[in-house]
Amino acid sequence: MYDAIVIGARCSGASTAMLLARRGHRVLVVDRSSFPSDVISTHFLWPHGMSYLNRWGLLEQVLAVTPAQTEIDVVNEGIRLTGSVPAELLRAYFRDLHGDDSGVVRTYASIRRSVLDQILVQAAAKAGAEVRTNCTVRGLIVEDGHVVGIRGRTSDGQLIEERARIVVGADGRNSFVARTLGLPKFDERPRCTFAYWSYYSGFSLETAQLHRRGRLACAVVPTNFEQNMVLVWGPSEWSREFRADVPGNYQRALDFVSPELGELVRAQGTREERIYGTLDQAAFLRPLHGPGWVLVGDAESFKDQCTAIGMTHAFRDAELASAALDRWLSGGAPIDETMAWYEGRRRGQDAAAYYDYVCTLAEMRPYRHDELQLFVALRGNQQEIDRFIATHADVAPVSEFFQASNLFLLNDAAKETSAGYPIFEDFAATSRMYQQNPFA
Amino acid sequence: MTTGLDQREDGELIEIILDAARRGDVTTMARTAAEVSEMTRNWATHIPWDDFATLDGADDELAQVVADLEEMWEPAYLRKPVDPDEEYALDKNAYDFYRPAGRNLLTRTEDYYGWVLARRRTETWQYSRVLEAAPGSIAEITNDLGRRTRGINFNSQDYLSFNTHPAIRAAAERAMRDYGPHSAGSPMVLGNTRISDELERALGDLVGLEHVTLFPTGWAAGFGVVVGLVRQEDHILIDRLAHSCLQQGARAATRNVVRYEHLNVESVRQHLVDIRSRDTRNGVLVVTDGLFSVDADWPDLVSLQQVCREYDATLLVDVAHDLGSMGPGGTGVLGLQGLLGSVDIVMGAFSKTFCSNGGFVASNSPALKQYIKMFGGSHFFSNALSPVQTAVVLEAARIIRSPEGDELRGRLFAAIDALRDELTTRGLTCMGEPSPIVPLLIGNEKLARVANRLLFDRGVLAFMVEFPVTPTGSSRFRLQVQAGHRPEEAREAARIIEGAIADSRAYLSSAFGSAAK
Ligand SMILES: Cc1cc2nc3c(=O)[nH]c(=O)nc-3n(C[C@H](O)[C@H](O)[C@H](O)COP(=O)(O)OP(=O)(O)OC[C@H]3O[C@@H](n4cnc5c(N)ncnc54)[C@H](O)[C@@H]3O)c2cc1C
Ligand SMILES: Cc1ncc(COP(=O)(O)O)c(C=O)c1O
Repeated sequence: MYDAIVIGARCSGASTAMLLARRGHRVLVVDRSSFPSDVISTHFLWPHGMSYLNRWGLLEQVLAVTPAQTEIDVVNEGIRLTGSVPAELLRAYFRDLHGDDSGVVRTYASIRRSVLDQILVQAAAKAGAEVRTNCTVRGLIVEDGHVVGIRGRTSDGQLIEERARIVVGADGRNSFVARTLGLPKFDERPRCTFAYWSYYSGFSLETAQLHRRGRLACAVVPTNFEQNMVLVWGPSEWSREFRADVPGNYQRALDFVSPELGELVRAQGTREERIYGTLDQAAFLRPLHGPGWVLVGDAESFKDQCTAIGMTHAFRDAELASAALDRWLSGGAPIDETMAWYEGRRRGQDAAAYYDYVCTLAEMRPYRHDELQLFVALRGNQQEIDRFIATHADVAPVSEFFQASNLFLLNDAAKETSAGYPIFEDFAATSRMYQQNPFA
Repeated sequence: MTTGLDQREDGELIEIILDAARRGDVTTMARTAAEVSEMTRNWATHIPWDDFATLDGADDELAQVVADLEEMWEPAYLRKPVDPDEEYALDKNAYDFYRPAGRNLLTRTEDYYGWVLARRRTETWQYSRVLEAAPGSIAEITNDLGRRTRGINFNSQDYLSFNTHPAIRAAAERAMRDYGPHSAGSPMVLGNTRISDELERALGDLVGLEHVTLFPTGWAAGFGVVVGLVRQEDHILIDRLAHSCLQQGARAATRNVVRYEHLNVESVRQHLVDIRSRDTRNGVLVVTDGLFSVDADWPDLVSLQQVCREYDATLLVDVAHDLGSMGPGGTGVLGLQGLLGSVDIVMGAFSKTFCSNGGFVASNSPALKQYIKMFGGSHFFSNALSPVQTAVVLEAARIIRSPEGDELRGRLFAAIDALRDELTTRGLTCMGEPSPIVPLLIGNEKLARVANRLLFDRGVLAFMVEFPVTPTGSSRFRLQVQAGHRPEEAREAARIIEGAIADSRAYLSSAFGSAAK
């Protein structure tokens, strides 16, 4: 009999298991994968994601093999904003959500999942959690409507059955726990992006590049093994045509969004792996908890990759859920109360506003005139650029940036005009052109 | 790690698998699955990649695999048809249209208009409804599609229900007889009458400040006093949530504007320290509302005024919503905090409690009065309050200070308490403090817009506020209570509102609550 069984041993699962084990609870964590191994993700970790690793004492291990930077370039229609997430906003984030602001770092990194998840799994084991890999959960044991354990099978065919006071579903977007319990999806947002990416050696970049033009975007970010993750994305409406020629359209999209990055990749880059892709990214929420079970990470809330936030959110869930479970397991409060606390933090107004922000961005409509003018107005206003980046990354609440008096003041403080940017020359015609599927 | 350039892309493989699955060719499925990337296999964990060979062609396991793979490989929006009008109406935000494109000022407003039309067609446009009769505690209104409804009215600002008060109506009629409907001039020229002076004195008595100036609207008073006093090199510290007339006045007056965190006196102090360390020569105006009009809270004005004095800054407080409607003898937040006569500058609007258009600015300085009359453009260069308006406000001020005023406020607060109590008991979040404004927090705009649509037909009239009035993602219903509301009416409204919110959440299938964090 365990205190907790965690299904899934990656960003949300291994972290939850580790944190619970560190508090002295008996934890079993199982995953059908073996480690190190990869999973679909472009694995960008914003500074609060890095801060979680630091709070847990794992950042050094990551940094020993992964490049990290502080400044990031966000370029929309050629309007470049260079900035970083301010420490003060990071501290406020941790204070508001977790009640303490220790361990804040301002760097970001792109960490291959084969690297990161392995570190997390090892940390869970080191903390005292029992880790079983190559072990697929195939059934939940339910008694009187309560989940009380799991049934599974190891890769060599051995059947297992284990019980616990709580079962944590950290089993990703296609959560087995959710499917088995028949949990509904809420707030579904079917419009999302298709994303294709691969890994290139042969060049190095000072900062991560996030570019956007029309309905397409690309990112080039230094990652492990002296490679760069090169990603393009666009509206899922165009995916079928894109798929007709993946390597050709991948390069075409890069060239369209940023001719310089396209040229860099073509002329200096050597592709090291096949091109990966998915368009299965419709956002949704699931119920967070019920009798004998609780969900964390992608299992409870999946969002499009376009703001690269899922792993950081998985870490956040791990800290919140393990704190809630620890309070209950150690007799501090009834489970209903601690689960309500978890839910309050995950389903409040700020979370809803950010969810909307991501889902709207994921529709990949061409930027509107007013948005682009806002980007121009931001140029030269470093404090507000930084706050915008922090808002985009879900460090600072959407409501504090996008409020009337702030937006008016940003206009007033503008140092640049739109004069130098070709997008403003014939905006209407360009916007119409952007609606055409270039892969058709 | 299994990597390789020679491996085929997952999409190609999945299409082969799908094709084979539809034919029941499990051998091809299994062979192809072996080539699918580790990435995808570890992600799409619901697909039995390793067990394809054992699937029985006749079994619905195979059908499930086909369904799951199709779901992965077809754009999700194709599965869920939506009404494009409703999608457009619910997704956007007024801010999306703030900077339209193009050099033709007439045609470039059309984008925005398209959105307004979508909101109207889907009956989610909360603006520009019209009244069919006097807005009492019950009102009859028509929305802008011409649909009529009747309901418990929390959509009007008439806190003491003066609009139907016989003495107020009599005062209006008397002024109409004595002076006619028109003031026929700026107050600086010949727009004022003898009762204008009387009104200035009455207002001065109410706030304990001797020198009062009248403005044609509350908006004009706020804008006028700020631009009248503050010059380019001066500084303004303004509460983030202060009323639009003050925010816009600040923008027009100087670029040195700091929006401080709502109600945070300590942050005002820090900004003042900062400003005074750089600038000892210029003025600083600190600006706040008394009762905040969409949050229903108020600052610690005692500390704020003290901090202002320490750093030689001037405090301006907008008492539009609280003066007359609350506090001892109707003296509002100033009276509640024992500050009558000791705040630097007070401004107010008549439109909430005093039953008329109009506004005022008051201070203890005759010089300041003469100065803003000259330099606060909206006094000098705008027609004076009409005689009827002046007379109505004067009569309202008299009642407010009389025992009848106390009784009306007593009734108002009985209704407020009933409304807040019933909403809270039903698990909803009322923001702020008991006051004539009861902000009911919703959060998400879509939820608020749909709830608003439902309420229209369910007998409650409530104003939904969203951006630009509130920050993105924190929309709410602003319920404005009147002395004429019976407590039972208020409770009934709360029950209806709860039902509409619950139904909207179900309609949108939304799991988000409305808690702040
Ligand atoms: C294209 C794309 C790009 C992305 N890019 C980024 C990015 O740049 N930055 C970022 O932060 N996020 C990104 N994300 C999101 C991020 O990858 C996820 O949010 C994150 O992986 C979620 O972690 P998790 O632990 O909840 O789930 P997962 O990482 O999916 O882990 C779930 C685990 O559960 C195991 N499991 C499932 N079922 C069973 C079972 N029955 N028995 C045993 N084990 C089981 C699986 O084997 C798996 O290992 C991206 C997502 C996509 C689709
Ligand atoms: C706080 C505040 N100040 C000023 C005003 C402006 O008043 P009026 O509507 O009379 O112009 C209002 C009302 O909109 C207000 O709420």
